[in-house]
Amino acid sequence: MDTWKNIRDRESGKSRPQSFANRIKSNRISHLQLSNHKELISPHKGAINSLQIDLTEGRYLLSSASDASVAVFDVQRPSECNAIWYPIDTGLFVTGSYDHYVNVWDTNTTQVVVNFKMPGKVYKTAMSTLSTSHMLIAVGTEDVQVRLCDIASGAFAHTLSGHRDGVMTVEWSASSEWVLITGGCDGAIRFWDIRRAGCFQVLNQSRTQLGRRPPILKRSSITKLYYSQESSTKVRAAQKKFVNGSGSGQLPIGRLSSRGPMKQKLHPGMISTQDRATAHYGAVTGLKVTEDGMYLLSAGSDSRLRLWDIESGCDTLVNFETVRLQTSKPIQFATTQDSAVVFVPCMRVVKAFDMWSGNAHTILRGHYESVNACWFNLHDQELYTGGNDRQILVWSPARLIADEMGEGDPDDQDNWSN
Amino acid sequence: MSTWNYVVTAHKPTNVTHSCVGNFTSPQDLNLIVAKCTRIEIHLLTAHGLQSILDVPLYGRIATLELFRPHGEAQDFLFIATERYKFCVLQWDTETSELVTRSMGDVSDRIGRPTDNGQIGIIDPDCRLIGLHLYDGLFKVIPFDNKGQLKEAFNIRLEELQVLDIKFLYGCPKPTIVVLYQDNKDARHVKTYEVALKDKDFVEGPWSHNNLDNGADLLIPVPSPLCGVLIIGEENIVYCSADGFKAIPIRPSITKAYGRVDPDGSRYLLGDHTGSLSLLVITHEKEKVTALKIEPLGETSIASTISYLDNAFVYIGSSYGDSQLIKLNLQPDAKGCYVEVLERYVNLGPIVDFCVVDLERQGQGQVVTCSGAYKDGSLRVVRNGIGINEQASVELQGIKGMWSLRSSTDDPFDTFLVVSFISETRILAMNLEDELEETEIEGFCSQVQTLFCHDAVHNQLVQVTSNSARLVSSTTRELLNEWNAPSGFSVNVATANATQVLLATGGGHLVYLEIGEGVLQEVKHAQLEFEISCLDINPIGENPNQSHLAAVGMWTDISVRLFSLPDLNLITKEHLGGEIIPRSVLLCAFEGISYLLCALGDGHLLNFMLNTSTGELTDRKKVSLGTQPITLRTFSSKSTTHVFAASDRPTVIYSSNKKLLYSNVNLKEVSHMCPFNSAAFPDSLAIAKEGELTIGTIDDIQKLHIRSIPLGEHARRICHQEQTRTFAICSLKYNSSSAEESEMHFVRLLDDQTFDFISVYSLDTYEYGCFIISCSFSDDNNVYYCVGTAYVLPEENEPTKGRILVFSVEEGKLQLIAEKETKGAVYCLNAFNGKLLAAINQKIQLYKWVLREDGTHELQSECGHHGHILALYVQTRGDFIVVGDLMKSISLLMYKHEEGAIEERARDYNANWMSAVEILDDDIYLGAENSFNLFTVRKNSEGATDEERGRLEVAGEYHLGEFVNRFRHGSLVMRLPDSDVGQIPTVIFGTINGVIGVIASLPHEQYVFLEKLQSSLRKVIKGVGGLSHEQWRSFNNEKKTVEARNFLDGDLIESFLDLNRNKMDEISKAMDVSVEELAKRVEELTRLH
Repeated sequence: MDTWKNIRDRESGKSRPQSFANRIKSNRISHLQLSNHKELISPHKGAINSLQIDLTEGRYLLSSASDASVAVFDVQRPSECNAIWYPIDTGLFVTGSYDHYVNVWDTNTTQVVVNFKMPGKVYKTAMSTLSTSHMLIAVGTEDVQVRLCDIASGAFAHTLSGHRDGVMTVEWSASSEWVLITGGCDGAIRFWDIRRAGCFQVLNQSRTQLGRRPPILKRSSITKLYYSQESSTKVRAAQKKFVNGSGSGQLPIGRLSSRGPMKQKLHPGMISTQDRATAHYGAVTGLKVTEDGMYLLSAGSDSRLRLWDIESGCDTLVNFETVRLQTSKPIQFATTQDSAVVFVPCMRVVKAFDMWSGNAHTILRGHYESVNACWFNLHDQELYTGGNDRQILVWSPARLIADEMGEGDPDDQDNWSN
Repeated sequence: MSTWNYVVTAHKPTNVTHSCVGNFTSPQDLNLIVAKCTRIEIHLLTAHGLQSILDVPLYGRIATLELFRPHGEAQDFLFIATERYKFCVLQWDTETSELVTRSMGDVSDRIGRPTDNGQIGIIDPDCRLIGLHLYDGLFKVIPFDNKGQLKEAFNIRLEELQVLDIKFLYGCPKPTIVVLYQDNKDARHVKTYEVALKDKDFVEGPWSHNNLDNGADLLIPVPSPLCGVLIIGEENIVYCSADGFKAIPIRPSITKAYGRVDPDGSRYLLGDHTGSLSLLVITHEKEKVTALKIEPLGETSIASTISYLDNAFVYIGSSYGDSQLIKLNLQPDAKGCYVEVLERYVNLGPIVDFCVVDLERQGQGQVVTCSGAYKDGSLRVVRNGIGINEQASVELQGIKGMWSLRSSTDDPFDTFLVVSFISETRILAMNLEDELEETEIEGFCSQVQTLFCHDAVHNQLVQVTSNSARLVSSTTRELLNEWNAPSGFSVNVATANATQVLLATGGGHLVYLEIGEGVLQEVKHAQLEFEISCLDINPIGENPNQSHLAAVGMWTDISVRLFSLPDLNLITKEHLGGEIIPRSVLLCAFEGISYLLCALGDGHLLNFMLNTSTGELTDRKKVSLGTQPITLRTFSSKSTTHVFAASDRPTVIYSSNKKLLYSNVNLKEVSHMCPFNSAAFPDSLAIAKEGELTIGTIDDIQKLHIRSIPLGEHARRICHQEQTRTFAICSLKYNSSSAEESEMHFVRLLDDQTFDFISVYSLDTYEYGCFIISCSFSDDNNVYYCVGTAYVLPEENEPTKGRILVFSVEEGKLQLIAEKETKGAVYCLNAFNGKLLAAINQKIQLYKWVLREDGTHELQSECGHHGHILALYVQTRGDFIVVGDLMKSISLLMYKHEEGAIEERARDYNANWMSAVEILDDDIYLGAENSFNLFTVRKNSEGATDEERGRLEVAGEYHLGEFVNRFRHGSLVMRLPDSDVGQIPTVIFGTINGVIGVIASLPHEQYVFLEKLQSSLRKVIKGVGGLSHEQWRSFNNEKKTVEARNFLDGDLIESFLDLNRNKMDEISKAMDVSVEELAKRVEELTRLH
């Protein structure tokens, strides 16, 4: 990775502009470290539970904490502004809290515009970023039902029943504005098409595939021949055993649901509602759809992180070296734009895992207590993390910092921080 | 305010990205189809070479281009997919000679990440399906039904993440793809999959092969009966199939393109990154491959595509140099090279930098580009208009007319030049010393003004004066016969060809004479109701010596009429409208189409299509060429006929793609012109201008003139120094001869007239030249070249060291005056308030020029500004500094003199990855970004809050579809102060595809008018393949897509002039503005470039 040569290759048309940008981004991501040029001074007096950057400008960071406070930061000009309630034109934001309320705030007046009373503590709220035709907040609470609150009408649109315990985490699909994914304390991850009754898919940790897609179909006529000849690698062999064991030499199990949501919608939802399959032992504490919309990451109180192929509904068997995850609270993790890296709070550290090998290539140490939330800023390749130590930390690409620290020459002295 | 911008292409893209060969325009035609990113050209292979049939723009950047033939079709269809996920299938309509869209659609997906290695689009050889790889992990299939129609597309999941290439295999019962990919340990493998259309999934393929050459990057499917695939690596080539495997080592090289020679696939041409061309031969016994053989053939431009045409003719499409048509000879030349270059097709791409200069100091801008890359690097001097290369000139005042004459009918050269004055006629001729001297033709009357002269058949010459028409022998030069005007009448205007004379006397008398051997006979006489202003009988029919039509321009009723010859019957009468009389008419034919041109006294020109059998005039068009009366004359250049319109703004009228084009001649004012093809001055023109008679040759007839200065190395930055009349460039030379590729970087000084290297400064090892400017400093009268460099060390991620070098030019040599070490790469330099402003990695740094005690100067840093990711592009205006960041859009800084500090004033908070910036005016800044968009931002100094003032507001957005490397203020055309367009500020840009474009900031009223015209044109002009113009021009990057605003597409607007009359009328109706008015306003704009 050589920035200068990359720039030269871009200007002469040797490398595509987009792959140039991708290369620079992933290089920056691989050099994340605690930023010393950007600092967010947390005004919170309790553990930070959730972080989010506004989606229109990528400039304002919203944080919420256990002391029932919310703060907004301008991450572009952090040195100038550390105040809460910065007036911005990013209209509304939503909070959910343990007092059983979901509040919708007007950012400029800091007044609650609409509120919804929930039957229990609110664990997680989510809105679809794709949505053009609805304004629904999906809410996971202590209750078994997931509620959809309609900002437009101020009423509950409907409830989704299926979980057998509280719902710690909710996440909208990155490919369809109608698909919602929920993770419950019962260990289940359910997929809902909110236009239809019941859930259409329940992830089952015993359904697995090795790799990015279900196994390739064998050549029907000469399958046996090839099978005996070609068991070259152990990986392949294991996969084939699975295929053969799964059912009379026809389709592997993974394929049953591989027609994707479009076909699945036709199924009467009630069948899957009865499905008691679990994705994790214990509660599902975090969900995140990758940026490409093809995979789902889930975390559980079993300290497992799983990567699911959304289309087939199978666990891809990537082994993430998590060691230990926080179990009592929902955790919020983040992925990079190219879906190559996932940032996961693992107690006091944040680990950056390679998505497909599961190796933790970077461990970000800085918090004194458990980390609850991560947010990755796609524009600046910066990571923000918040934890029980009430701090919000900024992690940014290393190179920049080293350079600015390296200024020794007195007449080169900068005055940006004055 | 420069808010309202008009973007137009002055030089079209020339970077050849794709090419293919097939029977597209008819089952018998062999066509070469060339894609130049956003344009498609269709050529026909003829006995004389390549003939262009069509050149059309596409509303998209072409990602893939493939010819295919569905079952039951006699000719090929063209499949095109664009980078923004649109596709179309085109067919040639032989009757209308147009492209017809068979089908089109959108293949974008909500899921998946766009591929890094570029999109792949392939068609099954048995035409069962189209395969697309657009997103990582997905393979999209568009199946064909039995009738060759496309069915609904679906995705198949692909396990392989880093796909390098995918091809269809030949000779497979089920459609089968072969995938070349890289695993997460960077090892490369191939794998095959059958596509099961019914299951919409892959079935395991017949074979796979692991652990290939680490540089394997290209797959070549081998047709039946051999089948299988060739895998081209950097160090070896492998043939792989279900039951065969052969490999040969090759000289280390990166193969960029291939072309199949034989339909059975036993020979292939391979082109590598150094431009060497090789032949790969598969030897086989029946269907079994026995060996591979590779033989170097010679050198071409660095190929991006290779298309084998026929009979050893090959088209080499290039992205880094000129594209070529080559012939492969059976025998090598003295250097062992089999390649013979037959033709070169100019390519300016990639334009990495350029400067605008006025070398001739005529007020006409020229662009000098750093074009090409690697060994094909060059400088190109791009000039608008046609130049006259002066050969000889004499001072002669008051020329009223000029004609050239031959000394005998079959002499290929002209001997005499007849120059007419108000009261005499002088004859010049070439003497034995090849000098022009005055002579005499005894039979001519030289005491009066000559109205017309011409060569006539049977070694005769004809001269028309106000009294008579004289027929003179060209050999004896004696008068043979004379026709006298009736007494009381004098001849006003006259014209002639080799056998006919037509003249008009006062009172509207039209007299037709025929020339025989020694006789001049009056054949017909006609009396018209008004006086005659101009005449023409230029033969455009089959007989080159005789015309059966006469064009006559009239006073009083302001009409142009066509008469039949010899009987002088009126065939057509066309009223011109207005009050300006026609001053010159001309019958002419271009590319087989006949036209009547009629020039008016106010510098306007009307043209009509002429039906020579019926005399019908259609497709009337009016253009403005100048403000003075025009004289029209035909001339030939390179055996093609063109028309020269002499006036205050001389113009050449020519035809390309059956369309009349006008190109200005780079002369100030021309009163008369005649072709003068003498032995000493072949293919020359005699031009009367401003008291001078000039003989000179004319440039190739085209709008933009490009002079090529090959460097043999890659120039990256250029600047001009007026005072020393030199150019300086930063260049690099690749040294690929040794095993390790190394680069040498130089600062070179060139003479601005000859472009010779006159001095060179070699940079250190690992030191790269990044930027160069010419500047001067306060308290120092000298001008300097300042060069910014970077030390690019292999182990470093980002340069941590660089230099600023200050050179002066002394006696044609670069002298290093001062140097200053920097803490990073110097990406940009600007002269700023008598100081030097540098962009060094994350920082903007200001240096002052300080006189030391010993009398030498040094750069001393004064102040700086941090806070950029990488400050790559910087422009300044007054105390303002506009910075284009690697990824953080544009920010505005200000230098505070009192504090000696640089502060940030405002910033655009969008995440644009910049590629160039420019300051349009005090408040509006222009940027180009990574996803081929342009945008403008506005300084908001009147904002109510700090927050508002600190934000650069986005003012305009537009998808250019081109990657801009550089903006520069300036113009390519002569700015005439009297015209409206002379006042419009313009910025020129250069792109990777070799486009030179102009951005003009229009007054608001004009913008509104043109915006309306643009939206009317969108309805009338349908995009090729049914692609939408509106979508194409919408600003689009990975974050957002928004409609274009405050930018207009000049290419679309100017295509108004190419529409036929019906469509023009349609637009005129929608706009409620007359066609003439529309044409006038659009034409004015065409003068911007």
